[in-house]
Amino acid sequence: MYARSHTVAVVGVRGHLVAVEAHVGRGLPALHLTGLPGAAIHDARERVRPAVEHAGLEWPLRRVTVNLSPAELRKDGPGFDLPVAVAVLAATSQVPHDRLARYVLAGELSLRGGLVPTPGILAVAAAAAERGMEGVVVPEANAAEAALVENLRVIPARTLAEVVVFLRGEAKPSPPPTAGSPAAAAPAVDLAEVRGQVQARRALEVAAAGGHNLLMVGPPGAGKTMLARRLPTVLPAMTRPEALAVTLLHSVAGVLTPGEPMVSARPFRAPHHSTSASGLLGGGSSRLRPGEASLAHHGVLFLDEVNEFRRDVLEGLRQPLEDGRVVVVRAAGAVEFPARFTLVAAANPCPCGFNGDPRRTCSCKPPVLDAYRHRLSGPLLDRIDIRLRVPRLSRSELLGSEHAEPSAGVRDRVEAARDRQRWRLEDAGLRCNAEMSGAQARRAARLTSKAEFRLGRAVERFGLTGRGFDRILKVARTIADLEASARTTEDHLLEALTFRGEDGLAREAGVA
Amino acid sequence: MRERGEPSVVHEPAGRQPVVREPAVWPEEFVARPRDRDALLVLASLEGIIPRDLHALAWREGSAAGCLRAIRRGAVGTDNDRTIAAAVRPDEVRKALAACGARARAPGDDEYPEALLHLADPPVCVFIRGQRLVPWPTAVTVVGSRTCTPYGHEIAEGIGAGLADAGVAVVSGAALGIDAASHEGALRAGGRTAAVLGSGIDVAYPRSNARLIDAIATDGQVLSEYPPGVPARPYRFPARNRLVAALGLAVVVVEGAEGSGSLITADFAQQLGRHILAVPGPVTAPQSAVPNELIRDLATLVRGPQDVLEAIGMAPVGATEDDDHPVPPGLSVEERAVLHRVSGASAAVEAVADAAGVSPARTLAALAALELRGLVASDGGRYRRTSSRSRRGW
Repeated sequence: MYARSHTVAVVGVRGHLVAVEAHVGRGLPALHLTGLPGAAIHDARERVRPAVEHAGLEWPLRRVTVNLSPAELRKDGPGFDLPVAVAVLAATSQVPHDRLARYVLAGELSLRGGLVPTPGILAVAAAAAERGMEGVVVPEANAAEAALVENLRVIPARTLAEVVVFLRGEAKPSPPPTAGSPAAAAPAVDLAEVRGQVQARRALEVAAAGGHNLLMVGPPGAGKTMLARRLPTVLPAMTRPEALAVTLLHSVAGVLTPGEPMVSARPFRAPHHSTSASGLLGGGSSRLRPGEASLAHHGVLFLDEVNEFRRDVLEGLRQPLEDGRVVVVRAAGAVEFPARFTLVAAANPCPCGFNGDPRRTCSCKPPVLDAYRHRLSGPLLDRIDIRLRVPRLSRSELLGSEHAEPSAGVRDRVEAARDRQRWRLEDAGLRCNAEMSGAQARRAARLTSKAEFRLGRAVERFGLTGRGFDRILKVARTIADLEASARTTEDHLLEALTFRGEDGLAREAGVA
Repeated sequence: MRERGEPSVVHEPAGRQPVVREPAVWPEEFVARPRDRDALLVLASLEGIIPRDLHALAWREGSAAGCLRAIRRGAVGTDNDRTIAAAVRPDEVRKALAACGARARAPGDDEYPEALLHLADPPVCVFIRGQRLVPWPTAVTVVGSRTCTPYGHEIAEGIGAGLADAGVAVVSGAALGIDAASHEGALRAGGRTAAVLGSGIDVAYPRSNARLIDAIATDGQVLSEYPPGVPARPYRFPARNRLVAALGLAVVVVEGAEGSGSLITADFAQQLGRHILAVPGPVTAPQSAVPNELIRDLATLVRGPQDVLEAIGMAPVGATEDDDHPVPPGLSVEERAVLHRVSGASAAVEAVADAAGVSPARTLAALAALELRGLVASDGGRYRRTSSRSRRGW
């Protein structure tokens, strides 16, 4: 009359092993759930019984109590359907107990007894392996994802009936699924498709090489989105640990592409400017889900029309930009999602979009313009090293720029530059130039005397602030790395100066 | 600089008679003695007698002290003048001048701007704060409305900066709007600018321009014909405008609505035979009513500092692109090639790189070097020569 199955509750991106106890005793037919079940688990009460009956099994017409242990852990998610059903079946002796102790079960059931794709299976499988379980039984659609975890048997199942057959030991399990490899299909976009925009192309290269965040300001139709989409294609290929970390986040959020168990290309996330704080940073009422910032982990977070985002939402990005993670604090505790991304922000020069366009007239009034530009907060701007204007090019200006370099060539240079940085910054525990502090940047720059002279001139002429100065040094250092130069020369510095943003930016920050 | 006595600026707009005026001459010994300098401070404080009468009086009496005696006698001037002449203590004026770092200069002093002597009624004394400008530099006056449009602001700032770049001093009235924009443009370009106040030399009007006026006094010069403590009054501004008009070789009217003070300045400038230049605007724009009218009647149309320089003979008429922008020394071959391909209008980086035959990355470095030297400016992702530079924008 008692049985116990195992499953994993996912909190944030971490899985916690949970025992699902079922007791079938005397009383009116009912299913009671205890042990802090969330709303989705409460729903399981209504799904499990029809699923069991459709599988050709019997639901006990008695009082059934299911307890989720440990009781103090708040649990949620649809993956509890299968372990609850199996625990009840075992408690009524319809399936043997022996395999239940060694296997983790997870999956959402349909009323007809089918197992439907369930988010977070990678986290489930990872926790199962960590706790020394022999294998996991998961919906077939999630099997490849689970197979990414090493030293774990993955039993894919399409229906509850198949799970029962496996637990009874009546059938050989189908051959284990194979996990996808990180080196997968070529990305759909390429830098070769961008015509002209030499400065912006170069900005992408430098941003990728040094891990710098990027701000593009330009009229609609200049190609800001097109450029941003191509940043992931020039970033170095993800390592396997990186790919696994990204896949885990995408799995928990339920955004994995079917048929592609492992995220192999660097993610590109472009949330709309109406996105809420919890949509961007993570959160949610019952089950905490990673936000867009975390889904862009190891990839690119693109904020188009960045001035249109709510200010408090943008302010929330300061933590991930600083620490590479988001901590969501709720009454029940804090959950941490990794979020180390390259930020690409794009903005129109003004609300009407035509400020600075030689062929169109801007119709914005000065106060409107001021208000618009002030929406980008100083602290956020401070973390954007590369800022440039992207003009809308006419057909004649594009003449002679038919043959643009494809992403692969740029990526080779980027990878080489990253290697140089890793070698130099390893001791400081940093990965790329963008992570350097001002003092580190000044040490690492190693300016030539000519470059130093130019920098002095620039400080005077452009009224560079202390932080602006450090940003220039970092970007110049990255450009030097791209050219395998130990010293930062005059040319590197000059190019970095073109990415400083125009004087108006400094004025906004209240400096000029 | 011209010798005293030589005919002054001769301006010859098409179809009009040139205006020639002998510079006003003052008695040689006008402020020769210490007590003349004391008397000068009192004369500058008078409110009733008009400068023209004071000039005539100077010739009659020969010295400042003599003029003051005549006033005290009641031979000339109003009763109010007599009261003031009795009440003003030169020591106190001197103390107030020292407090604001100003000095008093009379005709005959080297610091007294010679250009003022072209006026029919030159001030008997000017108070000066700031740099010593001897001889008075080549200067252009920029005026316009206090409530300007962004267009006017940008143009005024650009003209101020462009003139300053060419070594021409910018004169204006330190008022809001166009005045402030032209001063700021000149200051930002590291050039010289002079502001003529319509109030006492130590009175910042409007108050919100106090910082600007101090900045002008640091890098350039602030002038006034009024001693410390004199408040701004509406009737003082037209008087101020005659000095503003006289101090420049040309007057540029950037914007001005019907009835604007800039029309008064333009009138003075015309009487003085100064070049009258105006920046056009839409015929429907109220703020461009004065310049548009001036262009129709007598002014030369200017589009930016280059046109202004051309009008005062500092740039050859019909200059070609290259003459227009002489290549400064010390540029690398690449920088010169890139500079050559940046037109006055804004050019896309790709077009410049393509035309100059320089790789995009090297083009960007060259553009940055040129920008550092102020030869080009970035404008919405494009680059242009800095003839009519504007520093507004993102």
